[in-house]
Amino acid sequence: MIEVSGLRKTYGDFAAVVDSKFEIDRGEIFGVVGPNGAGKTTTLKMLAGLIEPTAGTATVAGYDAGDPEMRHQLGFLPEESPLYEDMTARSYLRFFADLYDVPHEVARDRIESTLDRLDLEYRDRRLGDVSKGMKRKVAIARSLVNDPDVLIYDEPASGLDPLTTNSVLEFTEELREDDKTVIFSAHNLYHVESVCDRVVIMNEGRIIARGSVADIRDQYGDTTYHVYSDTALDGTDPTADGRHRAVVETMAEVEAIQAAATDAGGSVTDIRTDEPSLESIFLELTGQQMPSPRTATDTEPASEPTTDQHEVEDAP
Amino acid sequence: MTRVDRLRTRLATAGRRLRRIARIARWELGQSTSSYNRRTLAVIAVLVVVVASVGTSAVALGVASPSPNTDIYRVGVADNSPYTAVIDDHASLTARPPDRTALATGEIDLLIGGVRQPTAGPGPRSPTLLVEPADGEKGDAALTAFRSAVQSYNDRAMALEPNRTAAYPVVVELQYIPQSTLGPAAPTNAGNLTGDDTPGDDADSDDGTDTDANDTDTNGTAGNVDGGPASGSGDNTTATDNTDSDAPPVADGGGGSLLDRALFGGGTSGSPAEIQPPFPFGSLLLAFLFLVPMNFVIQSYGSSVLNERISRRGELLLVAPVERLDIVAGKTLPYAAIAVATTAIIAAAIGGSLLSVAAVVPIAMTFLAATFLGAMFARSFKELTFVTITITVFLTSYVFIPSIFTNVTPIALISPLTLVVMELQGEAVTLGSYLFSTGPFYTSTAVLFLLGTGVYREEDMFSQKPVPLKFLDALDARLSGIRSVGVLTALFLPFVFIAELLAIAVLFVLPIEVSIPLILVVIAAVEEVAKSVHVFAGFESDRFDRSVRTALLLGIASGIGFFVAEKFTVVAQLVGLPNLQLGEAALQPAGIGITPSTSLLLLAGPLVLHTVTTGVAALGARKNLWWYLVSLVAATVIHAAYNFGVVTLYG
Repeated sequence: MIEVSGLRKTYGDFAAVVDSKFEIDRGEIFGVVGPNGAGKTTTLKMLAGLIEPTAGTATVAGYDAGDPEMRHQLGFLPEESPLYEDMTARSYLRFFADLYDVPHEVARDRIESTLDRLDLEYRDRRLGDVSKGMKRKVAIARSLVNDPDVLIYDEPASGLDPLTTNSVLEFTEELREDDKTVIFSAHNLYHVESVCDRVVIMNEGRIIARGSVADIRDQYGDTTYHVYSDTALDGTDPTADGRHRAVVETMAEVEAIQAAATDAGGSVTDIRTDEPSLESIFLELTGQQMPSPRTATDTEPASEPTTDQHEVEDAP
Repeated sequence: MTRVDRLRTRLATAGRRLRRIARIARWELGQSTSSYNRRTLAVIAVLVVVVASVGTSAVALGVASPSPNTDIYRVGVADNSPYTAVIDDHASLTARPPDRTALATGEIDLLIGGVRQPTAGPGPRSPTLLVEPADGEKGDAALTAFRSAVQSYNDRAMALEPNRTAAYPVVVELQYIPQSTLGPAAPTNAGNLTGDDTPGDDADSDDGTDTDANDTDTNGTAGNVDGGPASGSGDNTTATDNTDSDAPPVADGGGGSLLDRALFGGGTSGSPAEIQPPFPFGSLLLAFLFLVPMNFVIQSYGSSVLNERISRRGELLLVAPVERLDIVAGKTLPYAAIAVATTAIIAAAIGGSLLSVAAVVPIAMTFLAATFLGAMFARSFKELTFVTITITVFLTSYVFIPSIFTNVTPIALISPLTLVVMELQGEAVTLGSYLFSTGPFYTSTAVLFLLGTGVYREEDMFSQKPVPLKFLDALDARLSGIRSVGVLTALFLPFVFIAELLAIAVLFVLPIEVSIPLILVVIAAVEEVAKSVHVFAGFESDRFDRSVRTALLLGIASGIGFFVAEKFTVVAQLVGLPNLQLGEAALQPAGIGITPSTSLLLLAGPLVLHTVTTGVAALGARKNLWWYLVSLVAATVIHAAYNFGVVTLYG
């Protein structure tokens, strides 16, 4: 559905995007992550036809990204999408439906059903008088007013409260069921991790990692195993609950600890797998701190590994 | 696909585009009107109604300006005196019983006595009114006010006089001759008339009679008034009716209507006392009437364009399947419609026809186009304010100042307002004059919108680039190859034309020995900038490689473009501007107005000149700004030298 090859954008001596190359399939949700100035937004705007590439090609739904016809197939949600505050949600969406040549009857039904799905109230209230979350939902509805095949969402949940964030992320996931292709950019990597099928990580205009989240984890992350035993062994540390913990990186080491515990007359009581988050991989790759803090809904205990817990009986 | 199918497709596309433009226009209108809330609109409406009502009523009742001078001089006069009516008609005078004691005690300031008839001996030969002022300054001031009152009263009485010959024994008729047709020797009949109108002659004769009149003001007027003081009622409209008789044409003749007198000052025929030097009140009024409303329109338009940029709302329109030109057209249409409607209403109100509307509309369009480009360049509302004020001042000056000289010099035709003045004066306006006046405005409008639309894109709209860089971007956006450089140069010609005509208009007041060399240098500089600035923009954006060969090719393309477009200045010949010496100096170096024997040489001359000088400028432009400026000066020097040569040889 989207093909990008050798895409490049320079401003004088500054290269905003350098030789980007990726393909996105129909119905895929594709994440673009990276720190500020990494070239994410420039890439998305080149795909939307807003910025002319210095070099390379980008095709969207079979059209060149610069082709005005392509825009009929595209829904674009910029990071900042201020609305016309004197209009109501309905009049605002109808205005854009007209620009996309959507017949009035079709537009009316589509607008109402999209607003229903987004659970948007106050459809006839001045947009200047509604909350930021509501405005963002209206902006999302606008991106769908022409029923596009491709959606480009730049920070769709930026600055929203947790409840609205979840609502927007859920809605984005639902778009996959509608066979929409979504390019999704976010600072918050937990959003990307939870929604996207595949991801590219950009830094200083270049793609430095790509693949599914699992692939990237395998490729760039180091999985660690936290092995808990009821007996003190070499290389273990006592824990607060009276057990002893060893942190190892391979299954062979885990098996060695199990054997040692048995030899010492004890046993391994718990093994926990600590998989790296996309954020930690990102930080390692880019050597930077993510700019936006995690929201309450994203928060998971970072100090204690929680994934893939194994009872001792299940341990290999 | 058959030809019919292609045509059908094109028509369908055009229909869709028009629908979108109309939709954007409707939306823009809603946006701009909603920015004023209902309460504000209601308050404005009420204020307008109140001001208009009060103003109209005040004017109608004659109490528009309750003067502090009312009834300040008390004049002792008998009830049956013919001067009672004079005093009653004058605001600063009030009648009191004639009492010498009151004069002595200061209760009255002036005492009107009887009329002394002329005697056979020395002394006045006409009846003399005896007037006695009170001692002191107030008495003198009262006497002066009384003289003025008598003069005004008599003027009104004369205007009512059915026998025009008796009322105005001397009638003169002025005819203003354009400066360009005025030869060294005063020609024919017109020469005599203008000769009469020379300040020296006029002053001498008028001063003589005026002095006498003043001396005998209190004398001679008595006799006149005695002859028929009547009640002094009636108004000027009666005077106009009287012109139906076989009396001399006081308020008749070309340009002598009351409206013309009100608008253009003085009138051109009547008694010497009635005729005043022409004052460009008409041009001033027209400039005020037509241009002031435009300022409100461009303020609103500029704010709307800038608001789309600052708030980034315009981004969503850019990503919609709408051409940039259509977005701009849709956003501009409501303001253009308001400007045209306002112009039409004002033209109708002042008695102008469709010609007046057609003359002012291109000014309005240029206002909008310049504002659009300014709003595309401005980075804040502060900068926009500067831009709109600059546009207002420049364009207002450009259209107002030349129109002052409507009856003086053909240079006045560079302003379309001159066409309006001509129409209101009953003069014919030729198609050539119309094209000459409005052509630069129409084409400038197109070019300004073209440049503005070039930067109506994400990379320029929402960035905070300095204005000069945006200007270069706007130029670069219209470049695609070497040929496009020539096309853009040709499109700049209206600006060159405007700048050169403005320079002529400003410099023509200087002595010819100074103005002609100066104008030749200014013209050279203007043309060299117009031919090379976009070449520099193309190099700066790396659109062109910086080789010498490319620079020279660009110079040749730009030179040819300018040469071809310059030939359009032949329009100037239609209105006789080259008859003016400065016009010749300005236009003949371009090869215009040259005899056939020299035309071939001078056709090749400008072509070589323009390609060479632009090549020189392009060679500097390929390096950097500093080198561009240096090479631009060099090109200007070469160009000015050529101009001097042509003027010296053929001028």
